[in-house]
Amino acid sequence: MKYRNSLRAKETRLGIGLLSPTALIVFGLVIFPAFFAIWMSFHHVTLSNLNNVFGAEFVGLENYYKVINDYAFKFKTWNSMGAALTSIVYSVASTTVTVFLGLIAALLLNRKFKWRGIFRAAFLFPYVAPIISVAFVWRWMLSPRMSGIVNDVLLRMGAISEPLSFLSTRGLALLIVITFTAWRYFPFAMLMILSRLQAIDETLYESAAVDGANRWQKFRFITLPQLRLVIGAVFMLRLIWTFNKFENIFLLTGGGYGTGVLPILTYQFSFESYNFGKGAATAMILFGILLVFLALYWGLFVRRGVDV
Amino acid sequence: MNNNNTDGKNVLGYMADWITLPRFFFATGMTFFVTSVLFPFYWMITTSFKAPTEIASRRPTYFPNSFSLQGYRELFDPSHPDFWNFGRSLFNSFRVAVPTALLAVAIALLGAYAIARLRFRGKDLFLHGVLLVYMFPTVMLMIPLFAMLSNIGRVLGFGIQDNLFILIVTYLAQTLPVALYMLTNYFKSIPSEIEQAGLVDGCSRLGVIWRITIPLSIPALISVAIYTFMIAWNEFLYAFVFLNNTEAFTVPIMINAIQEDPSPRPHVIMAASTITSIPVMVLFLSLQKFLKRGLTAGSVKQ
Repeated sequence: MKYRNSLRAKETRLGIGLLSPTALIVFGLVIFPAFFAIWMSFHHVTLSNLNNVFGAEFVGLENYYKVINDYAFKFKTWNSMGAALTSIVYSVASTTVTVFLGLIAALLLNRKFKWRGIFRAAFLFPYVAPIISVAFVWRWMLSPRMSGIVNDVLLRMGAISEPLSFLSTRGLALLIVITFTAWRYFPFAMLMILSRLQAIDETLYESAAVDGANRWQKFRFITLPQLRLVIGAVFMLRLIWTFNKFENIFLLTGGGYGTGVLPILTYQFSFESYNFGKGAATAMILFGILLVFLALYWGLFVRRGVDV
Repeated sequence: MNNNNTDGKNVLGYMADWITLPRFFFATGMTFFVTSVLFPFYWMITTSFKAPTEIASRRPTYFPNSFSLQGYRELFDPSHPDFWNFGRSLFNSFRVAVPTALLAVAIALLGAYAIARLRFRGKDLFLHGVLLVYMFPTVMLMIPLFAMLSNIGRVLGFGIQDNLFILIVTYLAQTLPVALYMLTNYFKSIPSEIEQAGLVDGCSRLGVIWRITIPLSIPALISVAIYTFMIAWNEFLYAFVFLNNTEAFTVPIMINAIQEDPSPRPHVIMAASTITSIPVMVLFLSLQKFLKRGLTAGSVKQ
């Protein structure tokens, strides 16, 4: 009884009280739905029984079988890889390019020059502009007609002899969404890497200069090791977020022409054919692959004793 | 340039002296990034002011040779035959994004204060656990949310379609974790001595938050509000699923509807895209410095 009224207990009660609105919203709208998604993936839920979802029929793994047997999920050729493999190729490739561009941009902006602040702000534009605006500008630039500017440039350069349909050609469309994603998110990688770059101890470079190191050696043996952690972390974060991303591809290609990734398939099952159970099962497969990524990250960085 | 020739060198000679290998790489790299980053925005803005006839020509014009407000008139001018009533969509977006930002800041403020200033078990676990939210795919959460909310709505008697309040609540769940994280870091960085003085003088904890903490953190609160505003303003998927009626469309959904119109109208889409980008770009640039710190500290999702 004495403890209940002690200062410590009062502080705990106040702390929990102040945190509870946040906790309530996050649990109610994120944690509970996440578990509910697992439940739904084992039940038959469509538009007809959506209003009585808790009474939905248990169907075991049927939704999973249906998804895996769906034509959109299956590997056929390299131009039609099925949703799971397309997702992996798309997210790994675009994240690699994102981090590479971010690293180059950060190294460029790490030099001192006039108007550096303005350039840094401008480089963030792709990342802060609304996705709808930038996706539709890209679509407009990639217009399949001769008036599309990318086609015009390539035609003038003589690289192509007739206009290409960038977003409705298998293979090319995937390449474009990868490029678009890298363009949109490289500023995020740039910011993270730049702030680490600016924290590197200058004396490391000075002592390397005394030892006669050249630029490349300084980069290879000082800068790169210092950046390894932040690059690993940015890569993993971006990989997870890109893997989960729906809008980028949906707004560019609608998920057609070999760009049908798992989030798109999840959306189509749930909100186009209104089979929510099948949609939830697809989301679970997506989440399962995500966990494999996390385990890989754990094994590659954390377990090998790299200090994360 | 003539005075440069006094010692027998011309411009090219000076350039040759200036260019070293690192400088060459630097110039090439900067040119690449500046063009690829800025050109799409140049193309968006110029297209929005081109006349439809110029857009329909066989080849694109790199420098516009017409100036037309046709695209903007279709968006805003009720007397235009293809009027889209874009003003209403802008208003809807504000009606969603402003309450989201204010509520997110108010709720996260209390939680962040508790984590930064009070001692109780489990608070750090909570702070980090809440960020795990960002590992969950939005499409995965969308399905159960849709099912849950339509059931709750049926019982309590409200519709979930075209209900902007539903959007605000779901956006809160998306923005609270990062708002909490940013504000906690900010509170940890300001000294607690003034607050303690307030407590000694007999203020209650809530009184201290209201009279001391909030006035001291106005810049941080504004920044977090703007950041959450931007997330809500840009959001596409939830709005796309929950909004069916043109009257309730937020800006991104409206632009998508214009894009899906059978007759292509790039100038209108680019005008709408320009208008949508302006508020977020202006807000972002005005807060660049703080947001950069917040972004790197909080590993913000977008």
